[in-house]
Amino acid sequence: MDETVAEFIKRTILKIPMNELITILKAWDFLSENQLQTINFRQRKESVVQHLVWLCEEKQASVNDAALLDIICEDVDLFDMKQFKNSFKKILQRALKNVTVSFRETEENAVWIRIAWGTQYTKPNQYKPTYVVYYSQTPYAFTSSRLRRNAPLLGQALTVASKHHQIVKMDLRSRYLDSLKAIVFKQYNQIFESHNSTTPLQERNLGLDVNMDSRIIHENIVEKERVQQITQETFGDYPQPQLEFAQYKLETKFKSDLNGSILAEREEPLRCLIKFSSPHLLEALKSLAPAGIADAPLSPLLTCIPNKRMNYFKIRDK
Amino acid sequence: MYRNGVQGRYKQTMDSYDASESTPRQSTSSRPEDYFIGATFLQKRLESVRKQTSFVPTPPRRKIPHCSLLQEDVDLQKVAFLLHKQWTLYSLTPLYKFSYSNLKEYSRLLNAFIVAEKQKGLAVEVGEDFNIKVIFSTLLGIKGTQRDPEAFLVQILSKSQLPSENRESKVLWTGWFCCIFGDSLLETVSEDFTCLPLFLANGTESNTAIIGTWFQKTFDCYFSPLAINAFNLSWMAAMWTACKMDHYVATTEFLWSVPCSPQSLDISYAIHPEDAKALWDSVHKTPGEVTQEEVDLFMDCLYSHFHRHFKIHLSATRLVRVSTSVASAHTDGKIKILCHKYLIGVLAYLTELAIFQIE
Repeated sequence: MDETVAEFIKRTILKIPMNELITILKAWDFLSENQLQTINFRQRKESVVQHLVWLCEEKQASVNDAALLDIICEDVDLFDMKQFKNSFKKILQRALKNVTVSFRETEENAVWIRIAWGTQYTKPNQYKPTYVVYYSQTPYAFTSSRLRRNAPLLGQALTVASKHHQIVKMDLRSRYLDSLKAIVFKQYNQIFESHNSTTPLQERNLGLDVNMDSRIIHENIVEKERVQQITQETFGDYPQPQLEFAQYKLETKFKSDLNGSILAEREEPLRCLIKFSSPHLLEALKSLAPAGIADAPLSPLLTCIPNKRMNYFKIRDK
Repeated sequence: MYRNGVQGRYKQTMDSYDASESTPRQSTSSRPEDYFIGATFLQKRLESVRKQTSFVPTPPRRKIPHCSLLQEDVDLQKVAFLLHKQWTLYSLTPLYKFSYSNLKEYSRLLNAFIVAEKQKGLAVEVGEDFNIKVIFSTLLGIKGTQRDPEAFLVQILSKSQLPSENRESKVLWTGWFCCIFGDSLLETVSEDFTCLPLFLANGTESNTAIIGTWFQKTFDCYFSPLAINAFNLSWMAAMWTACKMDHYVATTEFLWSVPCSPQSLDISYAIHPEDAKALWDSVHKTPGEVTQEEVDLFMDCLYSHFHRHFKIHLSATRLVRVSTSVASAHTDGKIKILCHKYLIGVLAYLTELAIFQIE
């Protein structure tokens, strides 16, 4: 056997976690049952690998065989749906005797999970289930209803079953799963490149009052154009993902340009909670500067929502 | 709701005065005394109009609400049910020949009217019980000065039909009529009229409509929904923030509606009540009073704090709701009073708005 092939097989096998090794070797089907039985898998990994490579050399493994092993490893590295479902269900059932868990797989490698929660002593409540959508190729899951009691347990089940280390709640909420996906997976700016288009001035629709002084008209056009351009740069030419609200918890000092003496001696910040609501928040925010209700550029607190993938914020003075 | 209703006597006299004096007046009654009453009434109205020196609808300053002396008469138990409820506001023109000694009779008449209306098939709700009870009662102490007429309350209760049940009556609808510091209106009417310009209702709109129709027919008056514009909402927010409170039961909150298209946008701005008070105290200069300048500055501070963070000009949007620990008010003419200490103060402002709408 070629030195390079031996080396390649050795490195490929080293990457396989011990608990999956036997499964993969069996799936590869290159080494026979008898041969695998001669290996003591309880040894140190290096010894196991050495023994395996020696067996492969004996059997004259080719480049193709090595490549096949590689593909099988990739396949198992990819998400094992069955294992995920079993693990997830087991964790919940061990903690709460009474829980109903159902799964449904869809395209895009998404698995929908429905959980009806009970307790040690009560049957699961089928009328208030929680839905989870887990995209197995990504480290993201979306959950419906606000859980209080069972949130830590759900988090633990997801983390362990998906073989991640920890789960972190994002400050992003919406009623539209597609919008959340668009923001989280950054799919909303597919035509991002086109924002630099240079549309000639005449083609843009600017309302003009012909009776006004021509100098004022010019200034108005310049200002309107500036606002349009900044709005376009900030929001892009594409339709915005649909969010219904954004919430800001502010703890900042009052600083006014109106009258310097107001609250001048007060050390404590003003505690405010500000909530923006709209059937389509980002489109509404986009229309504010052109309508003259807001300055352009709009505050980064608002424009960062899709980029930061947050719509719940806590702002304090630095 | 009442715009196409019967024109009250109050309005009628105004209209007919404009016509030439020699032509006979179209009136519901042909008695000569009515004409004289009408004329006297009208003269007084014109005098009061001439007294107004400016066309500014609200005075540039108002007293901060405080516990009025008369409030000691207020039956706290009876008043408690007025709090923490949402009331829809109307202005009401003076009632002609209303008498406090006839309350039992009015209960009977209104009861019969409601039953008749419901049997006619107007505004019947499926499964509704026709077994109702109407109660008129006075509300003692709900007034600003002794000159204000006594406030009164109308309640519609449903009577339980099953003998086994505890005979508990459920309140279906409540409405009350009051007048707080109504001197400017009281001066202009004769004794035949009772001035209770502020009407507050809680219950279904269909019930309010039926009861309103009865009042209009019986006392020749005219109801009109009382909207509260942004200007007055700002005043209310400032005044209620100025009220001294031992402890706060609610956060201070404002709601703006932004006129952007095609999507609507609502902005809610809640500020900790202690911080709102601190801001107000920093703005406030005249003891015991609130001035236009102070209200404007208070609101401008809130606007500028918001603008600093979001670059949005709240002043270009529409204020639709204000909420404090004293009371909350919505531009559609809805009010909820949370603090019994300042009940009279809140009603005084609303009475002012009602009187202005009538005039």
